[in-house]
Amino acid sequence: MPDAFALPHPVYRPAMSDAGPVAHCQTPNARDARWSWMMVAAQAGDARAYNALLRECVPLLRAICRRRLRVEADVEDAVQDALLTIHRVRHTYDPARPLGPWLIAIADRRALDRGRSLGRAARGQVELDAASELASTAPDTDGAIDSRRASAMLVRAVDDLPLAQRTALSLTKIHDLSLAEASSRSGMTVGALKVATHRALGSLRRRFGVKD
Amino acid sequence: MKTEDLIASLTQDLRPVRRVLPPVLATTLWVATATVLVCMAVFYFGPREDIVQHFASSVDLPQLLAAVAIGVLAAFAALQRALPDRDWRWGLLPLPAIAVWLVILAWGCVRDVVASGPEALHLTTSFKCIAFISGLGLPLTLGMLWLSRHAAPLRPGPVAALGGLAAAALASAGLSCIHYLNAAAMILVWHGLAVVLVTLGASLLGPRIMRTRMMTQ
Repeated sequence: MPDAFALPHPVYRPAMSDAGPVAHCQTPNARDARWSWMMVAAQAGDARAYNALLRECVPLLRAICRRRLRVEADVEDAVQDALLTIHRVRHTYDPARPLGPWLIAIADRRALDRGRSLGRAARGQVELDAASELASTAPDTDGAIDSRRASAMLVRAVDDLPLAQRTALSLTKIHDLSLAEASSRSGMTVGALKVATHRALGSLRRRFGVKD
Repeated sequence: MKTEDLIASLTQDLRPVRRVLPPVLATTLWVATATVLVCMAVFYFGPREDIVQHFASSVDLPQLLAAVAIGVLAAFAALQRALPDRDWRWGLLPLPAIAVWLVILAWGCVRDVVASGPEALHLTTSFKCIAFISGLGLPLTLGMLWLSRHAAPLRPGPVAALGGLAAAALASAGLSCIHYLNAAAMILVWHGLAVVLVTLGASLLGPRIMRTRMMTQ
């Protein structure tokens, strides 16, 4: 089918391998440009570019889904849902924009949907786990209870952060990745990661009344 | 199924796709079609005979222009929100026009009370407003749902609601040209109620309609 808005594109030729070292050694901007170019080729029917693009973006999709889902099987299901959605709405991608946010929005939505559908069962499971933990251990000291309550409050506070700040905080402070690695995983630029992390920490400090 | 196998199956026999219309172009297309439909409805029912004097002397012209602005902005917002990577704040785009519409009609109520006393706020029923706005809003909403059908897998509810709001607002503007409803309070209540009903209906039924085979093909 002719594409009224398609840009002319050359046939996709991978530099080394479809998802090999070339893909991982790029800066986020170069990667975004490359992914954008591959998606344009995919919209025009280039199966090879599309295959390479989907394989390259799976780690990003997994990282996004892991923020909302804990069980690895659920993460993988959400990733597959996201891939199916990407396939279904690939005609909505506008080459004038970076592909990263487009992919992240889709993956986040699918992870959220899966999390919701699992929600009731998961909540029941958590309650059961908590009950069995309480039953199997000696009575808690006040300190242990306070510590558990504080960590629950922290988890809730992190969950309440905006998506970009949560991602930045999770990758740089919780998973302890370097800025370059976090940038590669999240699709955010190093500058954006620094700003988002700073704002996330500021927001948490304010919430818990901690002075700088 | 393994993710690698899924990718292989998705990329097998890949077909070219036609990219969706950019929101500006899709909005222009929809607004042009909606304008033709509303004008046809106005001429079918017949514009009010005193339309020129009425628009010159009441709040009807400003409220009509505000309703048109709501329709255009809500349509643009719906088509923006239909794309996966667009910010949720696009959904707030029609709010200023809605505020202006409310302020104009509130001012109209004050003017009516000053001119005619508290009797100006006396409300009677006007189901014709609801029938006209719903009847014309339905095909316009369906057109918007078709244009934004790619939102079905991601956020169909907000997109359908914005589409319904756009359709109802333009239908309300058309109704102002034919209906002998002079009291601002009556316009505020009956047009407002009809617009709310169409928007709610679109948000509830729109997602299902978007997922129908007719829309997805």
